[in-house]
Amino acid sequence: MAEEIKVDLELNLKGLLCPLPMVRVSQNIKNVPVGGIIKATATDPGSLADIPSWAKSTGNEILKSERIGPEIIFYIKRIK
Amino acid sequence: MTVDKQTEEKLIALLKQKINRQLLYYLDICARCAICRDACHQYVATKDVHYLPAYRAELIRRIYKKYFTRTGRIIPSLYEGKEITDDLLDELYKVTYACTGCRRCMFYCPFSIDTTWVLSVAKTILIAAGKGSPILTELADAAIEKGKNIDLFKGIMLDILKDTERKLQEKVGDPKATIPVEKEDSNLLYVALSGEHTILPAAIIFHQAKENWTLSLFEASNYGYFLGDTAKAKTIAQRIVDEAKRLKVKEVVVTECGHAHRVFKFFYESWAKEKYPFQVSSILEIIHRYLKEGRINLNSKYIKEPVTYHDPCQIGRNYGVFAEPRDIISQVSADFREMNPQREKNWCCGAGGGVVAQPDLDEFRIKTGELKVKQIRQTGAKIVVSPCENCRLQIETLNEKYNLGIRISSIMDLVAYSLLIPREQS
Ligand code: SF4
Ligand code: SF4
Repeated sequence: MAEEIKVDLELNLKGLLCPLPMVRVSQNIKNVPVGGIIKATATDPGSLADIPSWAKSTGNEILKSERIGPEIIFYIKRIK
Repeated sequence: MTVDKQTEEKLIALLKQKINRQLLYYLDICARCAICRDACHQYVATKDVHYLPAYRAELIRRIYKKYFTRTGRIIPSLYEGKEITDDLLDELYKVTYACTGCRRCMFYCPFSIDTTWVLSVAKTILIAAGKGSPILTELADAAIEKGKNIDLFKGIMLDILKDTERKLQEKVGDPKATIPVEKEDSNLLYVALSGEHTILPAAIIFHQAKENWTLSLFEASNYGYFLGDTAKAKTIAQRIVDEAKRLKVKEVVVTECGHAHRVFKFFYESWAKEKYPFQVSSILEIIHRYLKEGRINLNSKYIKEPVTYHDPCQIGRNYGVFAEPRDIISQVSADFREMNPQREKNWCCGAGGGVVAQPDLDEFRIKTGELKVKQIRQTGAKIVVSPCENCRLQIETLNEKYNLGIRISSIMDLVAYSLLIPREQS
């Protein structure tokens, strides 16, 4: 359940096209402490593969992702 | 601060590998005439010497002089030799990753010095020193990671495509219209960008032209190329080359993305030391071909508002496609207006070369987009068309920041819309 995840920072990435959703997440991950969580809401369908790939290659973690209508919501945990 | 001995030796060895006739020619021949000064939109907008094309190359020249000339080794200060220090690398970073790779400086240089080529050497040095652009590295690595795990994402991607397919069927009025993926023996493999906006218009055009096509699972953009890391750039492009070979397609068609098209057209074969068993084309060339063959017919002059065209550097000056987009636009536009200057002399939008993806250059790209803003204003156009995603993203930013009051369109959108007009009106 989304309510169970304590979010440190919310990012509105709606309307942004590739690569900007990844760029904004990358920029903002530095703004949460290690262990902190970003909730990012995107509308670019490409981000469904892009954001998890970014997380894997940078050593961060996607706790959960969900699609609600046109919105794609990621809970990203800063690991390092 | 001087870099440690080991790093210094590594960087010198790397530069030594890069020294060839082309580099020596560029380093030797520059007459310091400063003609390139007025050719670079970044220098013109900022008047900062760092952005003078000849100065950017000068930093590499100084390193070369210090380590590879006798005089430079003995009295570096007299012969402008510079040893590799952290400050020098930081300065090199600033001038290198800000360059949009537009090559307008080369067009005007009396000796055709290709500053971007010299800066590709700078990028190699920066990466080896651990000072490559962090964000471009992350984007390149994410693309490689996606390639490794494509089976993991395929289900989601196909699921999303179903939505796009439904929209296609609705738009073209054909419940059997499809967006094929991994279809063997297709005539062409279309390589889109991440997201629907480059898939749907292309699918409409292919449907109307009755093309035997298939959509690539991968996006065209290549941040390894912007980063200047050939190994990563090759790995990213190879995902598509392998897919094209596996599906035995005759032609790989790259969407409206300047750098991606250039990577496939000009670089990949030499990086991989192989010849493609297929042809590479830009979607612009395909649309133009369909029009010539009568496979699609456009709704003549349906756009009444004034339209102008921005030549993306990688499609215009650096590839030579000027006529096709103008031909297409002139068919649908009743009032087409050229920018001044245009074609080979067109000003860069200000965000190529990966600049649009580097947040620390956001303000810089808005400032250095001034010349483009002036050009657009002079035309009085209400619609700006450009067949490059990168340019469109930048022009959208300029539209917002400078209140241009324009709309921005791709060529594909103009064409797809034109093809749909009779049906939508009926
Ligand atoms: S125009 Fe060419 S020769 Fe003249 S300063 Fe610039 S790079 Fe050097
Ligand atoms: S390639 Fe373009 S941005 Fe880079 S130095 Fe030359 S004119 Fe300036």
